[in-house]
Amino acid sequence: MNRPATVTTLQAAALVAGSIIGVGVLPLPRVATLAADTGGPLVTGVAVLAAWLALWLITKLGTLFPQQSIFQYSEILLGRWLAAIGTLLLICFFAFLASLAAREFGEVVVTAVLRKTPLEMTVLAMLLLAAIAARNDVRTFSYIHMFYLPFILAPGILIIALSLKNAVSLNLLPLWGNDATALSVTHGILTIASLFQVAFVVTIVIPHMKQPQKALKASSWGVVIAGGLYVAIVLATIAVFGSEETRLLIWPTLELAKTTSLPANILERLDAAFLAIWVTAVFTTLLSTYYLTIHAISQLFRLKDHRLLTYFVLPFIFWMAMLPQSVLQLYQIVELVGRIGLCITFGYPIILLLVWLLRRRGVSSS
Amino acid sequence: MSNDTPKGSGQSSASAELPPSLPPDELLKRRERLEGSLEQSIEWFKQLLLPDTDFVIRHFDIYGRFPAALFYISSMTKQAAIHNDLLKPLMYMPDHLKDAEIRLDGLETFILRKTLYFSDIRTSEEYQTLTESIMRGYALLLVDGLNRGIMINTRDIDKRAVEQPPTEQVIQGPREGFIESMSTNLALMRYRLATPDFRTHIRQLGRLTKTPVAICYIEGVVDMALVDEVKTRLSKIDVDGILDSGFVEQYIEDSHLSPFPQIQNTEKPDKAVAQMLEGRVVIIVEGSPFGLIIPSVFSQFYQTTEDYATRFLQGSFVRIARVVALVFSLIFPSLYVAIISFNPELIPTEFAVAVAGGRAGVPFPSLVEVLIIEISMEVLREATIRLPQQVGGALSIVGVLVVGQAAVSAGFSSPITVVVIALTTIGSFATPAYNAAFALRMLRFPLIIISGMFGLYGLMIGLILIGNHLLSLKSFGVPYLTPAVPLDMQGLKDLLIRGPLWWMRRRPAFLHPRDSTRVARQSAEDMTSPGNDVLENNSPSGQGG
Repeated sequence: MNRPATVTTLQAAALVAGSIIGVGVLPLPRVATLAADTGGPLVTGVAVLAAWLALWLITKLGTLFPQQSIFQYSEILLGRWLAAIGTLLLICFFAFLASLAAREFGEVVVTAVLRKTPLEMTVLAMLLLAAIAARNDVRTFSYIHMFYLPFILAPGILIIALSLKNAVSLNLLPLWGNDATALSVTHGILTIASLFQVAFVVTIVIPHMKQPQKALKASSWGVVIAGGLYVAIVLATIAVFGSEETRLLIWPTLELAKTTSLPANILERLDAAFLAIWVTAVFTTLLSTYYLTIHAISQLFRLKDHRLLTYFVLPFIFWMAMLPQSVLQLYQIVELVGRIGLCITFGYPIILLLVWLLRRRGVSSS
Repeated sequence: MSNDTPKGSGQSSASAELPPSLPPDELLKRRERLEGSLEQSIEWFKQLLLPDTDFVIRHFDIYGRFPAALFYISSMTKQAAIHNDLLKPLMYMPDHLKDAEIRLDGLETFILRKTLYFSDIRTSEEYQTLTESIMRGYALLLVDGLNRGIMINTRDIDKRAVEQPPTEQVIQGPREGFIESMSTNLALMRYRLATPDFRTHIRQLGRLTKTPVAICYIEGVVDMALVDEVKTRLSKIDVDGILDSGFVEQYIEDSHLSPFPQIQNTEKPDKAVAQMLEGRVVIIVEGSPFGLIIPSVFSQFYQTTEDYATRFLQGSFVRIARVVALVFSLIFPSLYVAIISFNPELIPTEFAVAVAGGRAGVPFPSLVEVLIIEISMEVLREATIRLPQQVGGALSIVGVLVVGQAAVSAGFSSPITVVVIALTTIGSFATPAYNAAFALRMLRFPLIIISGMFGLYGLMIGLILIGNHLLSLKSFGVPYLTPAVPLDMQGLKDLLIRGPLWWMRRRPAFLHPRDSTRVARQSAEDMTSPGNDVLENNSPSGQGG
């Protein structure tokens, strides 16, 4: 690969954080409280740690092959055909993830603000936005994440800060939750950890980094930023609503935004404004997923230019986005796909790493 | 003029050798060098240029002995200079040289070195060069028997005075502006930049206009790769005419379809020099009062030279105000449409009631209402520029005040819409660069429409589209949103605020200056150390001794 290395460590960290923070924030406190009611923040924290571990592994693998993306070095490690199966699995998974993210946010928009707009329009608008942006090169891709990260973090932090007015610290106790079962906690950890899967995009960015060896630092920072925001949002939501109320809300974070208002009565309600700004967060996540899909396909078929593909893939992703029948079914699928995805995004790199270790041992012994 | 023109000879038979239907440019290609007798050359030039009535051929004898002829275009030359400084010394041998013996083969040197006191004199034997120099206002002297022509610079083109540039007014700072004459413009820059490092490369563009274009930069500061790229892009231009620097801009910019300008233009020589000091290249085009600044990033378009001339708090404050105006001029109307039509619950109840009351008699949805007022504002704005100055002021007051007030009372629009559009329009004037303000002015309309369709969600989608476009733009390889993205800590001191001058110790890194030091380290350190309170001592130093 003789492309210029342009992505700085800071941009890579922003890219990881921006990719992770997405539409998953909206139902997050519900998932966390369902797992271990007041232990939700703790569960989220553990999930962040687990996600960081997985990402650390993936990034480590990437730094072993600093010149290639995962789709390229998997061919070296596994051979062309086995690697093609792995890549194909990743393509299907991320394409599906993109469609689910677009659908999920489309549902939120149609339910919360644009009640008369057809769901198809809001989903298609998001997908088109991602498809147009996915035509850019990796450099612009990382610039986009870098540029929007402040606009993603600022409203999140603002909502958390403003909700402190209504927070009751007693709601957070006991910290480890009431009668949480091991099954529900594991379930919750896996579901929350699956929100971090888009960080997988770091594997295609590493070959474009100025200092690929700093990728570990970048992805760690990305997870710390995103994970910090996640834990804080779960904390704030439970502190305001209490765990019993939180588990009844579809999108507790949006409800949190509803309860807050700016001082001096500038805006009476914040939910619509928050949702509008949250378009940015969803866009960056969707862009990463979309970009990963396009990139994988173009490397699988050895295409020089990924631009044409972006529009070609769009109808398929749109079709998949319209598959779930309702919001409830959507969330069942999201959880299911998330957990299957963990096997792919976490299991596949582990296999690659093992093969690498075996091969290296083979080389050194012979 | 006609007294100079010897019209006696008439068309002779010599013209028969060339078909008269050919245009002069084609004719020129048929002959290369000066040859033959003076009479033949005269016939040739007559054929080439005589249809122009201001082309003059003056026959005379040098020192009464050598037959010669002077060719020039009377409208472009200084008549007095031709009479007194050219013809007179050539016809009358100077007193101190009376005894010199002059032969034909030594005549050229004699004229050049002893007779004519013009500084800009060239010689050539090529018809192409000779003809071109006549067209540029030189006087051409041909002597019978000599196969070289002498070209004397007698050019005199009327030009306007150096005035304050109308598009870039400043309260503090130099007030000079570029004019149409390139030599004046170069002089305006040169006297500010008295260093031999200041380089200008002049080349001609345009097959017919042959417009001189100067590439200016400071050697030792600029990245030479940038200069080479500018030269390469310029050399790709092959058109009949370049009439303004705007023509050049459109040929060398990176993204032709983008609404955003990627090359800044300026009428101010001090700005051009400041940009060259940062490591940029400036292009000056003959006949255009606008210099082009290459490369340009977005932040340049809301900065002015005044920011730097004033103290840093003042400069920073004004700059932040400008950025606010810039953002407002883009999103204010669409934000209004989105909130009024989709999320009125966002705004405080009292205000929402007032808005609803104002809109009570208006039959249109807010989208249509805003679009109508926006379009009429655009029409008004364009009309105000074209109006004669005497009536312009009066008419714009009538247009804005009277029509606006009448539109509200006629139930055509709500008062708040008028307020929103008026603020937006005024805001868009706060951007110093007209072409950048224009980009936002254009993008306002799609944003209003998408907000009318999808509310705040649509507005965000529109803004993200614009943001993505800005992030993918480049000007000569420099990302358009530098120094914000990619992040450049040094550049942040000059992005939204204008940091104290000694903070900005280095030239912008994204221009790869060969020498990056702007403020010497010692000087920057001295600025932060306390000054010497010379006058604090009560006893005056003169008496204290």
